[in-house]
Amino acid sequence: MIRMFHVHKIYPNRIIALKDINIHIKKGEFVFLVGPTGAGKSTFLKLIYRGIVPTKGQVIVDGINVARLKPKYVPYLRRNIGIVFQDFKLLFNRTVYENVSFGLNAIGATNLEIRQQVKKVLNLVGLEHKKRTKPHLLSGGEQQKLCIARAIANEPMILLTDEPTGNLDPDTSWEIMQLLFHINMRGTTVIMASHDKLMVDKARKRIIRLEQGRIVEDIQKGKF
Amino acid sequence: MIFENMGFYFKEALLSFRRNTLMCIASVISITTIFIIIGIFLLISLNFNLFLKNLESQLEIIVYLKDDISTAELDNLKNSLTSIEGVKEAKFVSKEEAFQRLLKDLGGQKDIFSIVEENPLPASFEIKANDPKMIEQIAHKVEKYKNVEEVEYGRGIVERLLNFTSIFRVVGISILILLIFASILIISNIMKITVYARRDEIEIMSLVGATRWFIKWPFILEGFLQGIISAILSILILYKFYFVVIDKIHQITPFLPVVWDKKELLVIGLALIVLGSLVGFLGSMFSVGKYISE
Repeated sequence: MIRMFHVHKIYPNRIIALKDINIHIKKGEFVFLVGPTGAGKSTFLKLIYRGIVPTKGQVIVDGINVARLKPKYVPYLRRNIGIVFQDFKLLFNRTVYENVSFGLNAIGATNLEIRQQVKKVLNLVGLEHKKRTKPHLLSGGEQQKLCIARAIANEPMILLTDEPTGNLDPDTSWEIMQLLFHINMRGTTVIMASHDKLMVDKARKRIIRLEQGRIVEDIQKGKF
Repeated sequence: MIFENMGFYFKEALLSFRRNTLMCIASVISITTIFIIIGIFLLISLNFNLFLKNLESQLEIIVYLKDDISTAELDNLKNSLTSIEGVKEAKFVSKEEAFQRLLKDLGGQKDIFSIVEENPLPASFEIKANDPKMIEQIAHKVEKYKNVEEVEYGRGIVERLLNFTSIFRVVGISILILLIFASILIISNIMKITVYARRDEIEIMSLVGATRWFIKWPFILEGFLQGIISAILSILILYKFYFVVIDKIHQITPFLPVVWDKKELLVIGLALIVLGSLVGFLGSMFSVGKYISE
């Protein structure tokens, strides 16, 4: 599903974010990306959805060479990738329903498809009863669930999540993790950047550890 | 794709007016103000142009004829004059007609002619040119004709007047271009602020896989609508005040020609609407592109 060959990323301010990354993530895997702040986790995720391009090397997503993709095809790549951001990126002047339907509108779904799909994902994350609420009235956990609902609304093949449990209490974090496992069980490849030792240890999934831009460890059913 | 989603784009553009009411009112007021300034300038230009045209149309060549010209020669001469390139009309004024005009002009003092036994005035042709610039050229040609005593055409005045009118037109067009350019810059800056306030929305759209144009269209339509609304508002305000002002001017200086014709004013109205929609359209199109991440 995702392959990286000798990927390097150096930012214009000469900060080396990633060095010689080689990785293969298979379809349907659940992968934790761990490591200290500044290790390159967010850069790793951005390379997958073409938020940035590698300085050197190749990033292949579902058979597409992302680095060489023409800008006009980037939106079509992103339709197969759901992204859950650390800072939520919710639209606070729209309702819960509109936050999810907005993304579906953007990819040209019909009104009927939008209604059905929004209902389905809001049910899945448990926010159907709050569909008319504005996001600022939701709790942190609920806002995160809304982000996940938006990210999976168009049933992407890959779900990228950047510290989704970062600001949540352990119970809510575990609830979010259960939700991500559930999404993964349905066949979506999930890559989750995390600092949350408790969650990572409890999950017993593949762990890729980054330090100073290098992969220092890649183990199946690992611990933090 | 564009037309399939037009309904959605329009709905988003209209919803945006509701979601960002204050921002929209602020930008409509700013754009309206600029259009009022452009409109005032256009109205002044329109009236001044009428005044200049009036002046130009009064320019003519008077060809005085020798007294002994025969009727046949007169006919020939008339044919020759009207066949000169650039001559619009050549009107014959007989000796008698010239005398009557003079008497009319003199009014109460016409008695001074009672001592004159014979009409001293020559017959003449009054020539109007299609283009006032050709007056001098035509006059030089006519001077060489047989039976022409003298040609009068306001030598010097014509050139000065034409110079003045052409300078005025060039200056007018330059100021107009500057004003339009300034309005595009100001409106595009207003659009930039509007777009900047909604950069999160744009970023999210591009991250969920919306195409560039899908993101741009609602903003472009919003700019387009703002432009048209501002143009209509400025037209209503200008229309209300224009007639009040020219009525006052006409009372003070009744000899000055002013534009009353609503058809001519309609052109300015249409120009403002076209300008409004175009400026709104382009201004928002250029500013929104900056925030689409790729």
